[in-house]
Amino acid sequence: MSTFGLLLSQFADALSQSALLFFLGVGLTLIFGLMRIVNFAHGALYMLGAFVGYSLAHWSGNYWVALAGAPMLVGLFGVAFEFSILRRLYRRDAHAFLMVTFGLALVLGEAVRLTWGSDALKVAAPPALSGVIFLLDEPFPVYRLFLAATGIVVAVAIWQFLERSRLGLLIRATSQNAEMANALGVDIKLIRSCVFGIGCGLAALGGVLAAPLVTASNGMAATVIIDAFVIVIIGGMGSFLGSLIGALLIGFVQVFGNYYAPDFALAFMYLVMLVVLVVRPGGLLGKEA
Amino acid sequence: MSGQFRPSRRAMLKVGLAATATVASPAVLRSARADTGPIKIGLPLALTGALGSVGQQQKRGAELWAKVQNAKGGILGRQIELLIEDTAGNPANCVRKAQEMVERRDCRLLTGITLSSEALAVVPKLAEWDSIFISSDNGDGRLTAESLVPNFFRANISGPMGTRAVSLYLRSAKLQKFYALGLDYAWGHNSVQVFEQETTKSKKEFIGKVFAPTGTKDYSPYITKIRQSGADAVFLVLQGDDNNAFLSQAQQYRLPEKVKLLTEIVDLTSIRAVGDASLGLIGSSRYSFTYDHPLNGEFVALWKKEHNTVPDTFEGEQWQCMKVFEAGIVKAGGIEAAKLRPALEDIEIESVKGKVHIRKCDHQGVQQGFMVEVVKKPGFDTPVPEVIATFPGDETTPTCNTMTFKD
Repeated sequence: MSTFGLLLSQFADALSQSALLFFLGVGLTLIFGLMRIVNFAHGALYMLGAFVGYSLAHWSGNYWVALAGAPMLVGLFGVAFEFSILRRLYRRDAHAFLMVTFGLALVLGEAVRLTWGSDALKVAAPPALSGVIFLLDEPFPVYRLFLAATGIVVAVAIWQFLERSRLGLLIRATSQNAEMANALGVDIKLIRSCVFGIGCGLAALGGVLAAPLVTASNGMAATVIIDAFVIVIIGGMGSFLGSLIGALLIGFVQVFGNYYAPDFALAFMYLVMLVVLVVRPGGLLGKEA
Repeated sequence: MSGQFRPSRRAMLKVGLAATATVASPAVLRSARADTGPIKIGLPLALTGALGSVGQQQKRGAELWAKVQNAKGGILGRQIELLIEDTAGNPANCVRKAQEMVERRDCRLLTGITLSSEALAVVPKLAEWDSIFISSDNGDGRLTAESLVPNFFRANISGPMGTRAVSLYLRSAKLQKFYALGLDYAWGHNSVQVFEQETTKSKKEFIGKVFAPTGTKDYSPYITKIRQSGADAVFLVLQGDDNNAFLSQAQQYRLPEKVKLLTEIVDLTSIRAVGDASLGLIGSSRYSFTYDHPLNGEFVALWKKEHNTVPDTFEGEQWQCMKVFEAGIVKAGGIEAAKLRPALEDIEIESVKGKVHIRKCDHQGVQQGFMVEVVKKPGFDTPVPEVIATFPGDETTPTCNTMTFKD
């Protein structure tokens, strides 16, 4: 493989990984930005998305049904959870949210194990995306290009939604000053439910998209939650653009680090976070920066 | 001084006796319970995390054995009680859970500790705990070499033994150049090291190696490295979610079309999880339901009756381990470490894999080595491992207390 071919392939790999990381990070950061909740259950919701996706794909025989259905179902679960549990806690301090979302992660982990069993489950990519294309004579999976493209589409869609739609405007207003928004007649309870549901749905989207790469397994939650927090800390808690930059940084550091210096690849990720925290303690685009 | 309280000698004696009785009674009761109560076997398992599927298999294997044994009246007339805790694959958690089992629940027998890193953290404590630990899946060769302690035994095929079976098989293969990918913890490093030594010894070329952290989600950089190395084959020392991720992604990159995939361990759970991505995989097998042995036939039938499916790798390994425990306890006539240790040394049982002989010199279970290839077979929904070669135990087991082999 030529050097250019290698770099091209690695660049495409990094983009596909960044897309998966972005779905995790942006959900987490949207929830924090609006509700000031550090959602410890985010990894478990990502795992739930993969398992719900497995069942939908198995039941319908169609991956696209899983891709559309799993985020919606997990998003609805998020709305229901916010409505029934989190809504009672807004007057309490942050510890209450930490405990409740951590508890949710444990409950979801056990519920998934009881429902789907403890073995990993195969989720096949749709036939149309199962092939390879050749980047300078080297095969590259079409599914990874699809992941990168989905990441770009979702990022643009969220940006447009936040900047152009009425609901996006209300979310931004509530995020900046919830009391003022409420005084002006915005139903902030509804906004919070929507945002929590959207965040959960995005985590599930990441899970169902990752499943053909890693299978749907009970261990998924634990391995992604740290990455998600690192992305949000780098980008700045609550910043949409920050989570995008954080996901790109970590995706590229992981892919290039694992290739060129595998012994230090894990350290690189934390090194990037450390440098960002030293230079800008609030994250690259965080409000405290 | 008037009014000062001066207890009488008789009162002091009563208090002293009461205090002595209070302090001593739990020890006396504990001792009585240890001799007569149920036989407690502790299993600190990685039931969650990247190797959760392995821990769950070990749990099921031990549970079926306990159920069968209790239905027969237990061992030495005592029922079996399994103490099962989740360690999440964390060595510090594992030591804490094992310590709780020993100190709070009076358990003196341990097994099932899922990761080698956990086992390496536990073994230095066995003498202090006066406990026996029989490994059912730990691969790290050091456990029966430089890290061996008197109260540790290994009933399973170790990493070096599995690697040796692969190496013996490769001696007659056309493949010449090898690369290795292992998990970045004790077992991965150990098996890759043994494979490198064996490859060099058999005059083949070992091109390079790389280690991935446990829980790696994206294997594309490693796949690129393997593809670029120019190797004919890659030796994999992966397990659980990592193995599933690698095999899935390797197929997506069409890696098996260019590089032959060899593995230290072929696991049925992984085969089911990745389906056709495992086809053609060649490696050593710790246990397979396809082994042609009468006791295995009985075990598979029993398992199917209980679970309506065939047993997986670590269900079979755990079953064999419990059989070693059973034989040792019967021979020792009790579970005290001082009695059980000499009873286990040099014990030989007939198991689902054939003869297993626990060597006195390093407490390793000598047993034959199996090489399997993952193939499609009629009557099965997913690919299955098919035995392609077997090697006698004395050829696949390292020389005593080492990780090296005679030739």
